[in-house]
Amino acid sequence: MQVLDKRYKKNPDIVFRKIAEESILVPISNNVGDLQSIYTLNEVASRIWELIDPEISLTRIRDKLAEEFDVSVKEAEQDLKEFLDNLLRIKGIEEV
Amino acid sequence: MDCRPLVKIPYSKFSQKIHSKVKKDRTPICGTIELTFRCNMGCVHCYCLHDIKEKELSFKEISRLLDEIAASGCLWLLITGGEPLLRKDFLDIYGYAKNKGMIITLFTNATLVTDYIADYLREYPPFRIEVSIYGASKETHEKITGVPGSFKECLKGIDILRERKLPLSLKTMVMNLNFDEVRSMEKFAQDLGLSFRLDTGINPRLDGCKEPCKFRVLPSQVVELDFASYKRAQELRQFCEQFWGGTGSDNLYICGAGVNSFNIDPYGYLTVCEMSRAQSFSLLKNSFKEVWYDRVPEVLSRKCSSDYRCNSCELISLCGQCPGWGQLENSDPQKPVEYLCKVAHLRAEALGLIKPAVY
Repeated sequence: MQVLDKRYKKNPDIVFRKIAEESILVPISNNVGDLQSIYTLNEVASRIWELIDPEISLTRIRDKLAEEFDVSVKEAEQDLKEFLDNLLRIKGIEEV
Repeated sequence: MDCRPLVKIPYSKFSQKIHSKVKKDRTPICGTIELTFRCNMGCVHCYCLHDIKEKELSFKEISRLLDEIAASGCLWLLITGGEPLLRKDFLDIYGYAKNKGMIITLFTNATLVTDYIADYLREYPPFRIEVSIYGASKETHEKITGVPGSFKECLKGIDILRERKLPLSLKTMVMNLNFDEVRSMEKFAQDLGLSFRLDTGINPRLDGCKEPCKFRVLPSQVVELDFASYKRAQELRQFCEQFWGGTGSDNLYICGAGVNSFNIDPYGYLTVCEMSRAQSFSLLKNSFKEVWYDRVPEVLSRKCSSDYRCNSCELISLCGQCPGWGQLENSDPQKPVEYLCKVAHLRAEALGLIKPAVY
């Protein structure tokens, strides 16, 4: 199965916030991330987080990124995969 | 700019990074919420009013306020009281705030901590829990709390929290009733592997009653404690070096109160801090945003009168004087608190910044 065929849902134990133009993820329970830290997101990652939804395919997210950020589909896919990898490592998302 | 999609930053570093950003647009990033003024202790120095007839905020009202402050950018939230664990819905409120992504510090006397509460806190940990102890002995602690058995209950609560490895630290308010036990309290904390801090700043009750001030230690004892610890002395030196000299400002409020921080009392009134309550704004009648952006600037715009001497005093970084304390102590936000002046002068003498006064 290709990565882009998978679908993910967000872990409710990590909360997305936008404060003073900073996008952050705040872990709130013991089973996600590092509780003594905050995770900052760059602009693309912030948009990906907003788009992650079990109802939306990763291919659609990739295409939206390419369109919104005016980058190639290849670049968008690379950014998407890198961020998903990071999120999986801290259990910020899980496959559905 | 970091181009990595996800970067892990410790709280303290993130705090430094964001504080310079939030200052210019007055983002209310630090908040305090006093869930109740009720308490199961009767501490002699307490500044809270316990016989208020007003109705405490309901869970529904608190959750609405938490929604609003989170939407406005509040990240660090202090939950305090009174004793916040006296509220039967404490965990509902705590859990709600956690789910909004706020980083929570909890002040408690620990006597009401149960296994159930501690298990929940273990699952959804706060950033810090600070427990107040008032003595290293039962006699001293209970002389201050006025409640027999409270020392044992406090220690039991501390044990329950420690068993779960929660981020716990101890603190005390130094008074003439427990001054002789400060070192023992510090050692007690050290032996448990917990950090410890002390405070000597007893202020009048919120209604202006000066009864708590009877328990202040002497200004010379404050300075004795400052220099008894290398760490505290260093902190004082550094703070003084950084902020030495008058402020050069004609604003009455020169701290961060109302700029990036606020206080909400148990009845839904917002003030710029927990000391300065002369101007308060109902959050039941207005939204947080309305109060924060339309009303609080009125408080911050207050200028000091030409005879106000604190802003031009070179020792201001050593005293802790503020308009809120002046109001409580002297019913005048611009009248210096004499006790704080004495402490500041003694600190400056000890640091070699001024010559000892000749009496």
